[in-house]
Amino acid sequence: MKNLWEFWISRRSRTGVWDQCLVAFAIIGSILVMLPLLALANITIGQLADLSYLLEVATDRQVIGSIVLTFSAGLNAVLILLILGTPLSYVLARTQSRFNQAVESLIDIPLVLPHTVAGLMVYILFMQRGLIGAPLAGMGFFFEDAYPGIVVAMLFVAMPFYINSVKEGFQKVPVHMENVARTLGATRFQAFCLVVLPSSVRHILNGSILAWGRAISEFAAVIMIAYYPMIISTLIYYRFTTGGIKESTAVAFVMIVACLVVFLVLRTITRFVGRYDDRV
Amino acid sequence: MIEFEDVSLTLGDFSLHQVSLAIHDGDYYVIMGPSGAGKTIILETIAGLHVPESGRVLLDGKDMRSIPPENRNIGLVYQDYSLFPHMKVEKNIAFGMRMRKVPQADIDRQVRRLMKRFGIAHLAQRSPLTLSGGEQQRVAIARALAIEPGFLLLDEPLSALDPMTRELFVEELRTIHREHALTIVQVTHSTSEASELGTRMAMIMDGRLVQEDRVEHILRSPGTTRIARFIGYENIFDGVVRSCEDGLCRVETDGVSVWAVSGAPVGQGVAFCIGADEISLYNEVMDGSALNVFPGSVTKITISGALALITIDIGIMISAVLTRRSATEMGIEPGAKVFISFKASAVHVMDEDESPGLTHHDPMAAT
Repeated sequence: MKNLWEFWISRRSRTGVWDQCLVAFAIIGSILVMLPLLALANITIGQLADLSYLLEVATDRQVIGSIVLTFSAGLNAVLILLILGTPLSYVLARTQSRFNQAVESLIDIPLVLPHTVAGLMVYILFMQRGLIGAPLAGMGFFFEDAYPGIVVAMLFVAMPFYINSVKEGFQKVPVHMENVARTLGATRFQAFCLVVLPSSVRHILNGSILAWGRAISEFAAVIMIAYYPMIISTLIYYRFTTGGIKESTAVAFVMIVACLVVFLVLRTITRFVGRYDDRV
Repeated sequence: MIEFEDVSLTLGDFSLHQVSLAIHDGDYYVIMGPSGAGKTIILETIAGLHVPESGRVLLDGKDMRSIPPENRNIGLVYQDYSLFPHMKVEKNIAFGMRMRKVPQADIDRQVRRLMKRFGIAHLAQRSPLTLSGGEQQRVAIARALAIEPGFLLLDEPLSALDPMTRELFVEELRTIHREHALTIVQVTHSTSEASELGTRMAMIMDGRLVQEDRVEHILRSPGTTRIARFIGYENIFDGVVRSCEDGLCRVETDGVSVWAVSGAPVGQGVAFCIGADEISLYNEVMDGSALNVFPGSVTKITISGALALITIDIGIMISAVLTRRSATEMGIEPGAKVFISFKASAVHVMDEDESPGLTHHDPMAAT
């Protein structure tokens, strides 16, 4: 058996297709891949065994509504990040102020904090008596147990994923390119819009996908401010505590399938968008 | 005309210190210096991409402090060409005109003319990333010229090209300079580029202008040993002036006396350099006008292409350059006994001090 293994390894190495070191690394790494794979297989087999129940859950209006709510709130958070996060990422990428580090640490806070803490921070700020929540409540705009509450909680936790990815993209666009655009007659804003943005489109898309993924997977931060309307993770938790494992697993499986489809589509799009920026 | 009046500027850890220079209309001005000396910063300051902390930048006599880069009408080409990767070649060239809101018909005409002029018409619909270095270079220059700039700034435009393409481009740049009667400022650290293209030259070291003159003057008479070393002098020595007579000085270094044309006072410590190509090599003593004739033995031969750099021990180690063929014909090999000679005028005496005051010649007096 050992001889056969050595023969196979040496033969592949000679042809340059396989490298002994890479094969060893792949074997070690596959342990990690096995984890989600096993979990997926486990839940899939369980659900496919009772297809009629799965279909019943999948067509449940509350489940569909919750998935749509989660996806749209996530999308809303990403849209806000696109508008507010893109300029911030550009400033961070193009300046070397001593404040940058402080700003970057602030943005990264949601990465290191327990999500309940993040949720609490958002709640205290946006509750009806909160610093931001109070004046907005006066104008009839509420966050507690409301759609805007879900969006701000998602925005808070997704922010570092978007900012860091887009900042990296901007940093990879040579300043020279902007300089040339400016000598050719573009203002700084035109250079940003016509040269930097198109060159970073892949990073912006990747950042958006990461942020959206992070947003729709949030639970703890969201329930602190908006238990209702139920996003999908709240619904799964609710069904788990009230209906048991079978009910919650079916909802979870529907969410898994929905996420897989959406992310596959997005990743496929990413492969073809902004290919020209491979150099930068 | 581009003028720098005591321009100082700090960017991170780098500082430009009170740089003053004048680039006249029609000059092919070369800015030379080691990496990190501040050459590119000077170009970018001309373009308006950095604002001086003190001093003034004047273009055609006008103070440019409040004029942003987009209003300076300056063409800039970087070493990496900085073509916009998301635009086809045609769009890259048209970019400046689009920014200036030139009518589309005029843009099309100008783009076609420039692409034809630079032989890149067939690349119009190609992505810049699929072009060779030489092609990218042509597109970058066409894009800069499309706005009909008052000044063209080139940041090491030839350093990324292979030797053959580079030679073609030297000729190309010379033609552009002549055809467009353009004032070109080029940053380089290549002595050959400076001598092939430049009319005047500024030597920048550690953010300071250390010498400014006609190119051939700086290459023949570097102001300091550091400049001499940078522009490729192999033979640089420290010595003391022992005697002087009729403009000729005898400078002694490590027991070897060398005659030099210099007005340095007797007893002064000086540095001097001798170009390796100024030294003649013989197998036996030859009569000639050279004052400096020394016997010596060959210690080392370094072959570089068709040339051979011969190091000879004459009491000091001195290098001479021969064609490889001449070296073979003369039987030059390590240990061989030879004679060398060089003229007193080939010995360039400099201040011993590494950072003397700026050596600056009046450009009008030079022409």
